[in-house]
Amino acid sequence: MASLRSTTSRILGSSRPSLRFASTQVRGFASNLSDGGKASQHASEDKAPRMKAFQIYRWNPENPTEKPKMQTYTLDLNKTGPMVLDALIRVKNEIDPTLTFRRSCREGICGSCAMNINGTNTLACLCRIPAEDNADMKIYPLPHTYVVKDLVPDLTLFYKQYKSIKPYLQRDTPSPDGKEYRQSKADRRKLDGLYECILCACCSTSCPSYWWNSEEYLGPAILLQSYRWLADSRDERHEERKHALNNEMSLYRCHTILNCTRTCPKGLNPGLAIAEIKKELAFSG
Amino acid sequence: MASIARPMLLRQAAAASRLSAAPAGPSLLLKNSARVAAFHATSRRNILPPLPQKVEGGVNDPVPVPPPSPSHGSYHWTFERLVGASLVPLTLTPFAAGSLNPAMDAVLMGLIVIHSHLGLQNIIIDYLPKKRTPKSRKAAMWGLNVATALVALGLYEFETTDVGVTEAIKRVWHA
Repeated sequence: MASLRSTTSRILGSSRPSLRFASTQVRGFASNLSDGGKASQHASEDKAPRMKAFQIYRWNPENPTEKPKMQTYTLDLNKTGPMVLDALIRVKNEIDPTLTFRRSCREGICGSCAMNINGTNTLACLCRIPAEDNADMKIYPLPHTYVVKDLVPDLTLFYKQYKSIKPYLQRDTPSPDGKEYRQSKADRRKLDGLYECILCACCSTSCPSYWWNSEEYLGPAILLQSYRWLADSRDERHEERKHALNNEMSLYRCHTILNCTRTCPKGLNPGLAIAEIKKELAFSG
Repeated sequence: MASIARPMLLRQAAAASRLSAAPAGPSLLLKNSARVAAFHATSRRNILPPLPQKVEGGVNDPVPVPPPSPSHGSYHWTFERLVGASLVPLTLTPFAAGSLNPAMDAVLMGLIVIHSHLGLQNIIIDYLPKKRTPKSRKAAMWGLNVATALVALGLYEFETTDVGVTEAIKRVWHA
Protein backbone atom coordinates (compact mmCIF):
# COMPACT_ATOMS: atom_id res chain seq x y z
CA MET A 1 0.00 0.00 0.00
CA ALA A 2 2.75 2.31 1.09
CA SER A 3 4.43 3.48 -2.05
CA LEU A 4 1.53 4.44 -4.27
CA ARG A 5 -0.77 6.00 -1.73
CA SER A 6 -0.66 9.71 -1.03
CA THR A 7 0.30 10.77 2.48
CA THR A 8 -3.08 12.27 3.25
CA SER A 9 -4.98 9.16 2.31
CA ARG A 10 -2.60 7.12 4.40
CA ILE A 11 -3.19 9.37 7.40
CA LEU A 12 -6.93 9.64 6.95
CA GLY A 13 -7.72 6.08 6.06
CA SER A 14 -6.49 3.02 7.82
CA SER A 15 -4.07 0.91 5.85
CA ARG A 16 -6.75 -1.66 5.26
CA PRO A 17 -9.68 -0.13 3.39
CA SER A 18 -11.94 -3.09 4.05
CA LEU A 19 -11.92 -2.35 7.77
CA ARG A 20 -12.92 1.21 7.17
CA PHE A 21 -15.85 0.23 5.00
CA ALA A 22 -17.01 -2.36 7.46
CA SER A 23 -17.16 0.13 10.32
CA THR A 24 -19.23 2.68 8.39
CA GLN A 25 -21.54 -0.03 7.22
CA VAL A 26 -22.16 -1.25 10.72
CA ARG A 27 -22.96 2.25 11.84
CA GLY A 28 -25.34 2.69 8.94
CA PHE A 29 -27.26 -0.40 9.87
CA ALA A 30 -27.24 0.39 13.57
CA SER A 31 -28.99 3.67 13.09
CA ASN A 32 -31.54 2.40 10.60
CA LEU A 33 -32.27 -1.25 10.59
CA SER A 34 -30.88 -3.35 13.35
CA ASP A 35 -32.34 -1.55 16.33
CA GLY A 36 -35.80 -2.65 15.37
CA GLY A 37 -38.98 -0.91 14.23
CA LYS A 38 -40.01 0.46 17.59
CA ALA A 39 -36.76 2.15 18.46
CA SER A 40 -36.31 3.76 15.06
CA GLN A 41 -39.92 4.92 15.02
CA HIS A 42 -39.40 6.45 18.40
CA ALA A 43 -36.26 8.18 17.21
CA SER A 44 -37.92 9.60 14.12
CA GLU A 45 -40.81 10.94 16.23
CA ASP A 46 -38.34 12.66 18.50
CA LYS A 47 -36.29 14.29 15.81
CA ALA A 48 -37.54 16.98 13.51
CA PRO A 49 -37.49 15.75 9.91
CA ARG A 50 -34.25 16.65 8.15
CA MET A 51 -35.30 17.15 4.58
CA LYS A 52 -32.67 17.07 1.86
CA ALA A 53 -33.24 17.64 -1.85
CA PHE A 54 -31.44 15.53 -4.44
CA GLN A 55 -31.26 16.84 -7.98
CA ILE A 56 -30.76 13.90 -10.27
CA TYR A 57 -29.97 13.87 -13.99
CA ARG A 58 -32.73 12.22 -15.97
CA TRP A 59 -32.73 11.17 -19.59
CA ASN A 60 -34.83 8.46 -21.14
CA PRO A 61 -33.62 6.81 -24.37
CA GLU A 62 -37.22 6.01 -25.28
CA ASN A 63 -37.86 9.73 -25.78
CA PRO A 64 -34.58 10.67 -27.43
CA THR A 65 -35.83 14.08 -28.61
CA GLU A 66 -36.60 15.18 -25.07
CA LYS A 67 -33.78 17.11 -23.49
CA PRO A 68 -32.11 15.70 -20.38
CA LYS A 69 -33.40 17.38 -17.23
CA MET A 70 -32.69 17.58 -13.53
CA GLN A 71 -35.40 16.09 -11.35
CA THR A 72 -35.56 16.94 -7.66
CA TYR A 73 -36.45 14.39 -5.02
CA THR A 74 -36.75 15.30 -1.35
CA LEU A 75 -35.99 12.77 1.35
CA ASP A 76 -36.02 12.81 5.14
CA LEU A 77 -32.48 12.02 6.19
CA ASN A 78 -33.69 10.50 9.48
CA LYS A 79 -35.19 7.64 7.51
CA THR A 80 -32.35 7.31 5.01
CA GLY A 81 -29.01 5.56 5.30
CA PRO A 82 -25.85 7.66 5.50
CA MET A 83 -24.60 7.19 1.95
CA VAL A 84 -25.78 8.67 -1.34
CA LEU A 85 -26.48 5.18 -2.65
CA ASP A 86 -28.93 4.62 0.22
CA ALA A 87 -30.74 7.78 -0.84
CA LEU A 88 -30.84 6.66 -4.48
CA ILE A 89 -32.18 3.24 -3.57
CA ARG A 90 -34.81 4.86 -1.39
CA VAL A 91 -35.86 7.18 -4.20
CA LYS A 92 -36.16 4.21 -6.54
CA ASN A 93 -38.08 2.10 -4.01
CA GLU A 94 -40.43 4.69 -2.65
CA ILE A 95 -40.73 7.70 -4.95
CA ASP A 96 -39.84 6.97 -8.56
CA PRO A 97 -39.23 3.41 -9.79
CA THR A 98 -38.19 4.71 -13.23
CA LEU A 99 -34.93 6.19 -11.84
CA THR A 100 -32.10 4.12 -13.31
CA PHE A 101 -28.61 3.58 -11.91
CA ARG A 102 -26.11 0.75 -11.54
CA ARG A 103 -25.32 -0.65 -8.14
CA SER A 104 -24.30 -3.95 -6.70
CA CYS A 105 -22.09 -4.44 -3.66
CA ARG A 106 -22.83 -1.18 -1.74
CA GLU A 107 -19.36 -1.33 -0.14
CA GLY A 108 -16.95 0.07 -2.71
CA ILE A 109 -15.75 -3.23 -4.14
CA CYS A 110 -17.62 -3.58 -7.43
CA GLY A 111 -17.35 -0.06 -8.87
CA SER A 112 -20.84 -0.12 -10.37
CA CYS A 113 -22.23 3.01 -8.74
CA ALA A 114 -19.59 5.43 -10.05
CA MET A 115 -21.23 8.79 -10.74
CA ASN A 116 -20.63 12.50 -10.48
CA ILE A 117 -21.87 13.69 -7.09
CA ASN A 118 -21.68 17.41 -6.31
CA GLY A 119 -19.12 17.84 -9.06
CA THR A 120 -16.81 15.00 -8.04
CA ASN A 121 -16.60 11.58 -9.60
CA THR A 122 -17.02 9.04 -6.84
CA LEU A 123 -18.80 5.88 -5.82
CA ALA A 124 -22.28 6.62 -4.51
CA CYS A 125 -21.85 3.88 -1.91
CA LEU A 126 -18.72 5.50 -0.43
CA CYS A 127 -20.01 9.07 -0.54
CA ARG A 128 -21.67 10.34 2.61
CA ILE A 129 -24.64 12.67 2.41
CA PRO A 130 -23.32 15.84 4.07
CA ALA A 131 -25.76 16.22 6.97
CA GLU A 132 -24.82 19.68 8.10
CA ASP A 133 -25.29 21.67 4.90
CA ASN A 134 -28.73 22.17 3.43
CA ALA A 135 -27.71 22.67 -0.19
CA ASP A 136 -29.22 20.35 -2.78
CA MET A 137 -27.08 17.40 -3.84
CA LYS A 138 -26.51 17.26 -7.56
CA ILE A 139 -26.03 13.84 -9.09
CA TYR A 140 -24.96 13.36 -12.69
CA PRO A 141 -23.64 10.37 -14.66
CA LEU A 142 -19.87 10.22 -15.20
CA PRO A 143 -18.84 13.22 -17.30
CA HIS A 144 -18.05 12.92 -21.02
CA THR A 145 -19.58 9.50 -21.37
CA TYR A 146 -22.41 8.47 -23.63
CA VAL A 147 -25.43 8.06 -21.38
CA VAL A 148 -27.49 4.89 -21.68
CA LYS A 149 -30.20 6.08 -19.31
CA ASP A 150 -30.32 8.47 -16.34
CA LEU A 151 -27.16 7.73 -14.32
CA VAL A 152 -25.96 4.78 -16.42
CA PRO A 153 -22.95 5.61 -18.62
CA ASP A 154 -21.81 3.56 -21.59
CA LEU A 155 -18.37 2.15 -20.77
CA THR A 156 -17.86 0.12 -23.96
CA LEU A 157 -14.79 2.09 -25.05
CA PHE A 158 -13.33 1.88 -21.54
CA TYR A 159 -13.58 -1.92 -21.53
CA LYS A 160 -12.29 -2.19 -25.09
CA GLN A 161 -9.26 -0.18 -24.03
CA TYR A 162 -8.81 -2.36 -20.98
CA LYS A 163 -8.81 -5.43 -23.19
CA SER A 164 -6.17 -3.89 -25.47
CA ILE A 165 -3.53 -3.86 -22.70
CA LYS A 166 -3.88 -7.64 -22.21
CA PRO A 167 -4.68 -7.55 -18.49
CA TYR A 168 -3.54 -11.06 -17.67
CA LEU A 169 -0.34 -12.91 -16.81
CA GLN A 170 1.70 -13.70 -19.93
CA ARG A 171 4.40 -16.33 -19.46
CA ASP A 172 6.26 -18.83 -21.59
CA THR A 173 8.38 -20.64 -19.01
CA PRO A 174 6.61 -23.01 -16.65
CA SER A 175 7.25 -22.64 -12.94
CA PRO A 176 10.28 -24.67 -11.73
CA ASP A 177 8.31 -26.98 -9.43
CA GLY A 178 5.20 -27.22 -11.60
CA LYS A 179 3.11 -25.43 -8.98
CA GLU A 180 1.92 -21.83 -8.94
CA TYR A 181 4.18 -18.94 -9.98
CA ARG A 182 5.73 -17.65 -6.80
CA GLN A 183 7.13 -14.21 -6.09
CA SER A 184 9.06 -12.71 -3.21
CA LYS A 185 7.38 -10.54 -0.61
CA ALA A 186 9.23 -7.51 -1.96
CA ASP A 187 7.93 -8.19 -5.47
CA ARG A 188 4.43 -8.67 -4.17
CA ARG A 189 4.64 -5.37 -2.33
CA LYS A 190 5.19 -3.60 -5.68
CA LEU A 191 1.61 -4.46 -6.63
CA ASP A 192 0.11 -2.81 -3.56
CA GLY A 193 -1.77 0.32 -4.54
CA LEU A 194 -2.27 -1.15 -8.03
CA TYR A 195 -4.24 -4.35 -7.59
CA GLU A 196 -6.93 -2.60 -5.52
CA CYS A 197 -8.22 -0.75 -8.59
CA ILE A 198 -11.82 -1.76 -9.28
CA LEU A 199 -12.10 -0.11 -12.73
CA CYS A 200 -14.96 2.16 -11.76
CA ALA A 201 -13.80 4.69 -14.41
CA CYS A 202 -14.00 7.63 -11.98
CA CYS A 203 -10.42 8.68 -12.76
CA SER A 204 -10.55 8.27 -16.52
CA THR A 205 -13.74 10.29 -16.84
CA SER A 206 -12.31 13.06 -14.66
CA CYS A 207 -9.24 13.49 -16.88
CA PRO A 208 -9.51 16.44 -19.30
CA SER A 209 -6.98 14.81 -21.60
CA TYR A 210 -9.20 11.73 -21.75
CA TRP A 211 -12.21 13.95 -22.49
CA TRP A 212 -10.40 15.40 -25.51
CA ASN A 213 -8.77 12.26 -26.90
CA SER A 214 -10.53 9.26 -25.43
CA GLU A 215 -10.37 7.37 -28.76
CA GLU A 216 -6.58 7.17 -28.66
CA TYR A 217 -5.40 8.08 -25.16
CA LEU A 218 -5.87 5.16 -22.77
CA GLY A 219 -6.70 7.19 -19.67
CA PRO A 220 -5.50 6.87 -16.06
CA ALA A 221 -7.44 3.74 -15.07
CA ILE A 222 -6.14 1.68 -17.97
CA LEU A 223 -2.60 3.02 -17.56
CA LEU A 224 -2.66 2.12 -13.86
CA GLN A 225 -3.61 -1.40 -14.93
CA SER A 226 -0.83 -1.36 -17.55
CA TYR A 227 1.62 -0.54 -14.81
CA ARG A 228 0.15 -3.24 -12.61
CA TRP A 229 1.23 -5.79 -15.26
CA LEU A 230 4.52 -4.03 -15.97
CA ALA A 231 5.38 -4.15 -12.28
CA ASP A 232 4.46 -7.81 -11.89
CA SER A 233 7.61 -9.91 -11.44
CA ARG A 234 5.88 -13.01 -12.83
CA ASP A 235 4.98 -11.46 -16.18
CA GLU A 236 7.41 -12.13 -19.04
CA ARG A 237 6.10 -9.78 -21.72
CA HIS A 238 7.65 -6.69 -20.22
CA GLU A 239 9.10 -5.38 -23.48
CA GLU A 240 5.96 -5.97 -25.55
CA ARG A 241 3.88 -4.17 -22.96
CA LYS A 242 6.26 -1.22 -23.06
CA HIS A 243 6.27 -1.12 -26.86
CA ALA A 244 2.49 -1.04 -26.93
CA LEU A 245 2.54 2.22 -24.94
CA ASN A 246 5.50 3.82 -26.72
CA ASN A 247 3.68 6.10 -29.14
CA GLU A 248 2.35 9.60 -29.33
CA MET A 249 -1.15 9.01 -28.01
CA SER A 250 -1.56 5.97 -25.75
CA LEU A 251 0.52 7.15 -22.79
CA TYR A 252 1.97 10.58 -23.50
CA ARG A 253 -1.31 12.47 -23.61
CA CYS A 254 -1.02 12.46 -19.81
CA HIS A 255 -0.09 16.00 -18.78
CA THR A 256 0.00 15.25 -15.03
CA ILE A 257 -3.22 17.14 -14.39
CA LEU A 258 -3.74 14.69 -11.48
CA ASN A 259 -7.53 14.88 -11.42
CA CYS A 260 -7.30 11.08 -11.39
CA THR A 261 -5.48 10.94 -8.07
CA ARG A 262 -7.72 13.55 -6.52
CA THR A 263 -10.93 11.78 -7.48
CA CYS A 264 -10.06 8.09 -6.90
CA PRO A 265 -12.66 6.76 -4.44
CA LYS A 266 -10.29 3.98 -3.40
CA GLY A 267 -7.47 6.38 -2.52
CA LEU A 268 -5.11 5.04 -5.20
CA ASN A 269 -2.69 7.13 -7.20
CA PRO A 270 -2.98 6.59 -10.98
CA GLY A 271 -0.87 9.73 -11.56
CA LEU A 272 2.09 8.13 -9.82
CA ALA A 273 1.63 4.87 -11.73
CA ILE A 274 1.69 6.79 -15.03
CA ALA A 275 4.82 8.64 -13.90
CA GLU A 276 6.44 5.26 -13.14
CA ILE A 277 5.64 4.03 -16.66
CA LYS A 278 7.11 7.21 -18.15
CA LYS A 279 10.22 6.75 -16.05
CA GLU A 280 10.62 3.16 -17.19
CA LEU A 281 10.16 4.17 -20.80
CA ALA A 282 12.29 7.31 -20.59
CA PHE A 283 15.49 5.96 -22.14
CA SER A 284 14.22 2.81 -23.82
CA GLY A 285 13.47 2.62 -27.52
CA MET B 1 -12.80 35.89 -25.12
CA ALA B 2 -15.99 35.13 -23.26
CA SER B 3 -14.59 36.49 -20.03
CA ILE B 4 -13.80 39.76 -21.79
CA ALA B 5 -17.32 39.95 -23.16
CA ARG B 6 -19.00 39.09 -19.86
CA PRO B 7 -18.69 42.45 -18.00
CA MET B 8 -19.86 44.19 -21.16
CA LEU B 9 -22.94 41.98 -21.36
CA LEU B 10 -23.65 42.61 -17.70
CA ARG B 11 -23.32 46.34 -18.14
CA GLN B 12 -25.69 46.27 -21.10
CA ALA B 13 -28.22 44.27 -19.16
CA ALA B 14 -27.95 46.56 -16.15
CA ALA B 15 -28.28 49.70 -18.29
CA ALA B 16 -31.28 48.24 -20.08
CA SER B 17 -33.03 47.39 -16.82
CA ARG B 18 -32.35 50.92 -15.55
CA LEU B 19 -33.90 52.38 -18.68
CA SER B 20 -36.96 50.20 -18.51
CA ALA B 21 -37.43 50.71 -14.78
CA ALA B 22 -39.71 53.72 -15.35
CA PRO B 23 -42.55 52.01 -17.26
CA ALA B 24 -42.34 49.15 -14.71
CA GLY B 25 -43.31 45.70 -15.84
CA PRO B 26 -41.41 44.02 -18.69
CA SER B 27 -38.06 44.02 -16.89
CA LEU B 28 -38.33 40.35 -15.91
CA LEU B 29 -36.79 39.23 -19.19
CA LEU B 30 -33.94 41.68 -18.76
CA LYS B 31 -33.35 40.61 -15.19
CA ASN B 32 -33.11 37.05 -16.43
CA SER B 33 -30.65 38.04 -19.13
CA ALA B 34 -28.46 39.66 -16.49
CA ARG B 35 -28.51 36.46 -14.47
CA VAL B 36 -27.69 34.35 -17.48
CA ALA B 37 -24.83 36.62 -18.44
CA ALA B 38 -23.41 36.34 -14.94
CA PHE B 39 -23.87 32.59 -14.83
CA HIS B 40 -22.23 31.57 -18.09
CA ALA B 41 -18.49 31.88 -17.77
CA THR B 42 -17.96 30.86 -21.39
CA SER B 43 -19.93 31.43 -24.54
CA ARG B 44 -22.51 28.82 -25.37
CA ARG B 45 -21.06 28.05 -28.76
CA ASN B 46 -20.28 24.38 -29.26
CA ILE B 47 -16.80 24.27 -30.70
CA LEU B 48 -16.49 20.53 -31.25
CA PRO B 49 -19.87 19.04 -30.34
CA PRO B 50 -19.76 15.31 -29.57
CA LEU B 51 -20.55 13.01 -32.45
CA PRO B 52 -23.03 10.16 -32.14
CA GLN B 53 -21.44 7.18 -30.46
CA LYS B 54 -19.64 4.83 -32.83
CA VAL B 55 -18.09 1.58 -31.64
CA GLU B 56 -15.23 0.60 -33.93
CA GLY B 57 -15.01 -3.14 -34.42
CA GLY B 58 -17.06 -5.42 -32.21
CA VAL B 59 -18.11 -4.52 -28.72
CA ASN B 60 -15.81 -7.19 -27.32
CA ASP B 61 -12.80 -6.46 -29.53
CA PRO B 62 -9.89 -4.57 -28.01
CA VAL B 63 -9.10 -1.14 -29.45
CA PRO B 64 -6.22 -1.39 -31.95
CA VAL B 65 -2.75 -0.87 -30.47
CA PRO B 66 -0.80 1.75 -32.48
CA PRO B 67 2.64 0.72 -33.82
CA PRO B 68 5.52 1.68 -31.51
CA SER B 69 7.37 4.87 -32.45
CA PRO B 70 9.84 6.00 -29.80
CA SER B 71 10.61 9.19 -31.71
CA HIS B 72 7.05 10.34 -31.00
CA GLY B 73 6.91 8.55 -27.64
CA SER B 74 9.67 7.98 -25.15
CA TYR B 75 12.56 9.77 -26.93
CA HIS B 76 10.33 12.74 -27.60
CA TRP B 77 9.25 12.89 -23.96
CA THR B 78 12.80 12.56 -22.63
CA PHE B 79 14.07 15.24 -25.02
CA GLU B 80 11.25 17.54 -23.93
CA ARG B 81 12.15 17.08 -20.24
CA LEU B 82 15.87 17.57 -20.85
CA VAL B 83 15.24 20.81 -22.76
CA GLY B 84 12.88 22.01 -20.03
CA ALA B 85 15.28 21.14 -17.22
CA SER B 86 18.32 22.71 -18.89
CA LEU B 87 16.40 25.95 -19.44
CA VAL B 88 16.21 26.55 -15.67
CA PRO B 89 19.94 27.19 -15.06
CA LEU B 90 20.33 28.85 -18.45
CA THR B 91 17.64 31.39 -17.62
CA LEU B 92 18.88 31.99 -14.08
CA THR B 93 22.58 32.43 -14.84
CA PRO B 94 22.28 35.70 -16.80
CA PHE B 95 20.22 37.12 -13.93
CA ALA B 96 22.93 36.27 -11.44
CA ALA B 97 26.04 36.96 -13.48
CA GLY B 98 24.88 39.22 -16.29
CA SER B 99 25.24 38.32 -19.96
CA LEU B 100 28.25 36.06 -20.02
CA ASN B 101 29.00 35.42 -23.68
CA PRO B 102 27.17 35.30 -26.98
CA ALA B 103 27.49 31.49 -27.20
CA MET B 104 25.45 30.95 -24.04
CA ASP B 105 22.93 33.50 -25.20
CA ALA B 106 22.56 31.62 -28.48
CA VAL B 107 22.11 28.30 -26.68
CA LEU B 108 19.45 29.81 -24.44
CA MET B 109 17.55 31.25 -27.38
CA GLY B 110 17.79 28.01 -29.35
CA LEU B 111 16.41 26.01 -26.43
CA ILE B 112 13.58 28.48 -25.84
CA VAL B 113 12.55 28.16 -29.49
CA ILE B 114 12.60 24.35 -29.28
CA HIS B 115 10.80 24.36 -25.93
CA SER B 116 7.97 26.57 -27.13
CA HIS B 117 7.71 24.64 -30.39
CA LEU B 118 7.26 21.34 -28.52
CA GLY B 119 4.79 22.90 -26.07
CA LEU B 120 2.62 24.36 -28.80
CA GLN B 121 2.78 21.07 -30.69
CA ASN B 122 1.31 19.38 -27.60
CA ILE B 123 -1.53 21.90 -27.51
CA ILE B 124 -2.34 21.28 -31.18
CA ILE B 125 -2.32 17.49 -30.67
CA ASP B 126 -4.68 17.85 -27.69
CA TYR B 127 -7.17 20.28 -29.12
CA LEU B 128 -7.20 19.32 -32.80
CA PRO B 129 -7.68 15.55 -32.85
CA LYS B 130 -6.54 13.95 -36.09
CA LYS B 131 -9.78 11.99 -36.38
CA ARG B 132 -12.13 14.95 -35.98
CA THR B 133 -10.23 17.78 -37.65
CA PRO B 134 -7.53 16.39 -39.97
CA LYS B 135 -7.29 19.54 -42.12
CA SER B 136 -7.15 22.08 -39.29
CA ARG B 137 -4.61 19.85 -37.57
CA LYS B 138 -2.36 19.85 -40.60
CA ALA B 139 -2.80 23.59 -41.14
CA ALA B 140 -2.03 24.34 -37.48
CA MET B 141 1.06 22.15 -37.51
CA TRP B 142 2.41 23.85 -40.64
CA GLY B 143 1.51 27.24 -39.23
CA LEU B 144 3.50 26.40 -36.13
CA ASN B 145 6.46 25.24 -38.20
CA VAL B 146 6.46 28.47 -40.18
CA ALA B 147 6.14 30.56 -37.01
CA THR B 148 9.00 28.69 -35.32
CA ALA B 149 11.22 29.11 -38.38
CA LEU B 150 10.47 32.85 -38.48
CA VAL B 151 11.17 33.28 -34.77
CA ALA B 152 14.40 31.30 -35.09
CA LEU B 153 15.48 33.44 -38.06
CA GLY B 154 14.62 36.65 -36.24
CA LEU B 155 16.52 35.60 -33.15
CA TYR B 156 19.49 34.54 -35.28
CA GLU B 157 19.58 37.97 -36.89
CA PHE B 158 19.25 39.68 -33.52
CA GLU B 159 21.98 37.58 -31.97
CA THR B 160 24.46 37.92 -34.85
CA THR B 161 23.97 41.53 -35.94
CA ASP B 162 22.72 43.16 -32.74
CA VAL B 163 23.43 42.94 -28.99
CA GLY B 164 21.62 39.67 -28.18
CA VAL B 165 18.51 39.07 -26.14
CA THR B 166 19.92 39.00 -22.59
CA GLU B 167 21.79 42.24 -23.20
CA ALA B 168 18.68 43.80 -24.74
CA ILE B 169 16.57 42.84 -21.71
CA LYS B 170 19.24 44.30 -19.45
CA ARG B 171 19.22 47.58 -21.34
CA VAL B 172 15.42 47.81 -21.31
CA TRP B 173 15.46 47.05 -17.60
CA HIS B 174 17.93 49.83 -16.84
CA ALA B 175 16.43 52.28 -19.32
